[in-house]
Amino acid sequence: MTSDASTMIEFQDVHKYYGDYHALRGITATIRAGEFFSLLGPSGCGKTTLLRTIAGFEGISSGVVMIDGKSMASVPANQRPTNMVFQSYAIFPHLSVEENVGFGLRKDPRSVAEKSRAVTDALEMVGLHGFGTRAAHALSGGQRQRVALARALILKPKVLLLDEPLSALDKKMREQMQMELIKLQRQVGITFILVTHDQEEALVMSDRIAVMFEGEIAQLADPETLYRRPNSRKVADFIGTMNFLPAVVLSEQGGRVEVEAQGFGHVTLDAGQITGAAGAGGSVVGFRPETLTILFEGQTATDRESMAVVEEVVYYGDMTYYDIRLDGTDKPMRLSMRNVFGRPVLDIGTRTRVAWSPGALVLFR
Amino acid sequence: MMRGGGFRIYAFFYLAFLYAPIILLPIFAFNDATVIAFPLNGFTTKWFDKLWTEPALHAALLNSLIIALCTSVLATALGVFAARASTRYIFPAKAGIMGMIMLPLVLPEIILAVALLVVLLGLGVPLSILTVIAGHVLVCTPFAIAILSASFQSLDKSLEEAAYDLGETPLSTFRLIILPLVMPGIISSLLITFTISLDEFIMAFFLAGTETTLPVYIFSQFRFPQAVPVIMALGTILVLLSITLLTIAEYYRRRGIARTGGKDTGGFL
Repeated sequence: MTSDASTMIEFQDVHKYYGDYHALRGITATIRAGEFFSLLGPSGCGKTTLLRTIAGFEGISSGVVMIDGKSMASVPANQRPTNMVFQSYAIFPHLSVEENVGFGLRKDPRSVAEKSRAVTDALEMVGLHGFGTRAAHALSGGQRQRVALARALILKPKVLLLDEPLSALDKKMREQMQMELIKLQRQVGITFILVTHDQEEALVMSDRIAVMFEGEIAQLADPETLYRRPNSRKVADFIGTMNFLPAVVLSEQGGRVEVEAQGFGHVTLDAGQITGAAGAGGSVVGFRPETLTILFEGQTATDRESMAVVEEVVYYGDMTYYDIRLDGTDKPMRLSMRNVFGRPVLDIGTRTRVAWSPGALVLFR
Repeated sequence: MMRGGGFRIYAFFYLAFLYAPIILLPIFAFNDATVIAFPLNGFTTKWFDKLWTEPALHAALLNSLIIALCTSVLATALGVFAARASTRYIFPAKAGIMGMIMLPLVLPEIILAVALLVVLLGLGVPLSILTVIAGHVLVCTPFAIAILSASFQSLDKSLEEAAYDLGETPLSTFRLIILPLVMPGIISSLLITFTISLDEFIMAFFLAGTETTLPVYIFSQFRFPQAVPVIMALGTILVLLSITLLTIAEYYRRRGIARTGGKDTGGFL
């Protein structure tokens, strides 16, 4: 492995066992300095364990964890250049807000006045100006979250670790905090590592995402690549919604592949569209709901066009989700349409033309 | 008749049976007669005055206070270790070990006392207030563990990790975070074990040798009818003291739970 100045964290073949349980199975990855990185996966996939190996709360069974070019093997949690925002926030209930935020400055050689100014600045940064003297246990969930952030950031760590920090907040508050966290990360320029099971949250917030299943990284990529070119059916299923149709590979030439796909017929795919393993069940082509478009009176497809029957309609206000069955297929596909004023929502049973493009397909084989 | 009337009557008699004898204590403590019987004979405080002129009583009281103080500190200290271990760590045979520690809570105390006496005599250990303290620590530690476990249980583990993450050592984390948060539990444990030790009779009777503790002194005084009103006066003071200590203990226990944001799962009061 090579590491350069832009590498902040490096995992080299990290394994972790709890007794017989193999929690981390050979994690090798690098996290760049200053990026917003997410560890995404279902519960029990090892994402929190991996985060805790960075913080130093979990030892590793084998492998190397490096932070800023230094092996962390013999560095205890209280000496690592990382700070953590806990899922439960872990606000010290017997201390005031400013005592919580200033907790990590206890051994700081600066004067009391300087430290107090640092606390005020940190509170200001997270939007809690004037909350300093409040009792910590009297705060709301969102306020606790901000105190936890200020408390961690005041130490100017090289890496800020966030363990599902938004999971306890309601939807509105969560979306607001997502935007604030992104802004905060840009402002302080510190490497943020977020653990989440919410794929939408990971897509919204991250520069890059590592999708984890069963102790392994299944795919590490930027959000767009992850969404458009998932490298396995499993990743595709976990990130958003993806439709699959059986396909047969006819020929392969110079990286381009000729495929006979159910419902779509004969299509030619680029090397970049052949992304990964199909797993059990054979080759399939996959596509996202928004890559199919219903054609209304007078509209024509820019690329290819097929016939389909509407089997289910779900109206969401700004969007309508249709389950449509393409001619020549035996199961419905999910299609999403942005609702436009004046355009009708189709009824169940309607026969309609749909537009699609071979470029939006991916092949799993 | 109201609904549940039968239960109301039952509840009334139950409480009367429980507390009426205790209410009799102060009544006869202020009654100007050596015979414990109605009708009352006029108000007096002379039985309380007499308490000041009984050297044997003072010796017994001093012994009891020394024993109770040592017992409460030792039992609470041991309780802190056990409660911390049982709530935070996983170790082999944990359930069995914790069960064995808590067993004195339900074992007949007289069996424990006799067994201890046999062992101490066999080892040639002279009986003194030290042996009483040993016996009392045995009896009081399970109470301390029960109280302190509740305190330690309501501590979020990530609070410790957060302190550690912010640069503290395990020791300073214990001092700055854990100790302040379980302090109400510790105070509650000190007060309750103190109270238990102060009025414990069986252990003290078997293990004190030639020394006397307050309960043993009270028991011995009942042989002399003229001493009974004095005991009533003494009893009145002890009841007030016990109620006060237990109230303070419960106050701290509840405050501790409220402070860590935990849920009250019930205590001794």
